[in-house]
Amino acid sequence: MRLKKELPYLGFVFPAFVVYTLLVMYPLLQAVGLSFTDWKGVTFENLHFVGLKNYIDVFKDKQIVMSITNTIKYALAVPIAITVLAIPLSSVLNSKMRTRNLQRAAFFFPSVPSALVLGFLWSYIMSPLDYGLLNRFVAKFGLKPVLWLADPKMAMVSVIAVTVWSQLGWHACIYLAQLQSISSDLYEAARIDGASTLQLFFKVTIPQLKPAMVTSVMLLMISSLKVFDLPFALTGGGPGYATTMISQVIIERGFVDKMYGRSMASAIVFFIFVALITVLQQKAGAEKE
Amino acid sequence: MKKIKGVAGETVMLVLCAFMLIPFYYLVVNTFKTPKEMTASPLALPVSITFENYAKAFDNMDFIRSFSNSVLITVVSVFLIVILGAMAAYPIARRKHKIYKGLLMYFLLGYMVPAQTIMIPLYLLLQKIHLLNNVAGLILVYASWCNFAMFLYQGFFKGLPTDIEEAAMIDGCNPWKCFWRVVLPLLKPITTTIIIFEVMWVWNDFLYPYLFLSSNKSFTLVMQVYKGVGQFSNDWSMMLSTMVLVLVPVVIFYLIMQKHIVAGITSGAVKG
Repeated sequence: MRLKKELPYLGFVFPAFVVYTLLVMYPLLQAVGLSFTDWKGVTFENLHFVGLKNYIDVFKDKQIVMSITNTIKYALAVPIAITVLAIPLSSVLNSKMRTRNLQRAAFFFPSVPSALVLGFLWSYIMSPLDYGLLNRFVAKFGLKPVLWLADPKMAMVSVIAVTVWSQLGWHACIYLAQLQSISSDLYEAARIDGASTLQLFFKVTIPQLKPAMVTSVMLLMISSLKVFDLPFALTGGGPGYATTMISQVIIERGFVDKMYGRSMASAIVFFIFVALITVLQQKAGAEKE
Repeated sequence: MKKIKGVAGETVMLVLCAFMLIPFYYLVVNTFKTPKEMTASPLALPVSITFENYAKAFDNMDFIRSFSNSVLITVVSVFLIVILGAMAAYPIARRKHKIYKGLLMYFLLGYMVPAQTIMIPLYLLLQKIHLLNNVAGLILVYASWCNFAMFLYQGFFKGLPTDIEEAAMIDGCNPWKCFWRVVLPLLKPITTTIIIFEVMWVWNDFLYPYLFLSSNKSFTLVMQVYKGVGQFSNDWSMMLSTMVLVLVPVVIFYLIMQKHIVAGITSGAVKG
């Protein structure tokens, strides 16, 4: 038994193992189990196995389906918008401007405060009332006020825009790190071959940034799928269900409507989705190495 | 010519920076105004500087208590995350027995589990062990994030030469002593990174306090903002003052740790 020799070492893993098993794996198994039952909360008496009923109900529940669609839209739009903006931003922040540290700090700063506070702050800025800064700004250009948060389509755009505003600097920072590791020989060689600045950017910089892109896009996708605080604070999921994300619907179905089975089934669907993306990330990451 | 272009570029960037930061200016400047002044001109400087809004918000949100709750929850949770994570990573990264491969896979599985998936069972569990609406319960839940720290530590171990540990073992150091005296100090760079990012995550988290804390007595600072929204729907300056008071500690933390934060992101260790 070689395992006996490992006993003192297994002792090191033991505390983490207990905490993790009790508070992550056990709840996960319980969620899976309860998603196949008609559990009504409080006690576990009168529990019946209902097969896939809850899962079928999830896809019949218009609000859950809408929240899944919203979440997917959001989780596609945010990474695309941030990638398109963060790459050029990082190369500007990498140049030798005198105020570049100040610029980096200014773009990074919105990722520091809690997303809940940022959401509430923007709900003031986007308000249709007189203190709503954004509409005052729009009015300066002689345009009609925009219903930033009250129009269903616009509300989703607003939620995405505020997320981009808050996460842009962080992700520019990821690209910045990669940029600094690109050898200047590459640029010199291209320049000798007569490449223009624009060609340098598209033919040298962009391909070299690929590993950072894999990291940043996957991070953004996973965090966007899990998003809760920001839309909750900014729009409360509204108008109607226009910006309700899957996290919020799981909470509503469970804690508010007490439809535990359905809530848990949507939570498991969500888990499978996130797991698939995480596995893809690992694969892409492995290719990178 | 090139110089002019440089100045123009820099000016454009500084204007963009100003746009990034306007929301924070708006937030702070309006805390010194009455709702009427704020409606009249949201970006104007206040007529007179008064800290009355802050004084009221400070009392109303029970700042000292909420701040202490946030500090207590963050410090103890992050301490547990770091210790549990580093301890577990040590044999998983260093020992050859195949049981550790299995353990690594087991811990990695949790990487994919979103908090939202397990929140209802967690609620039941906390209820059962009477830790609902209790700071200790929340800390316990945060401590279970130790698998993330474990993963980062075990990656860091790969780049760490083994000779120092081996020399200590030959000198008769047992694994326990070896870990605390020799290994843990070697992990300092990654520990700094983990502490900073976990502090920011735990401090800013809203989902778990929202679900598991229900009384003012155990509220964190972020929860006070949520409470304020219902309370001050018409008193905007009070609401904004509450938000500023909640932001101040994390902004101070950011300013002190700025260098480490950027280094953490650029080292690629931190996965957002």
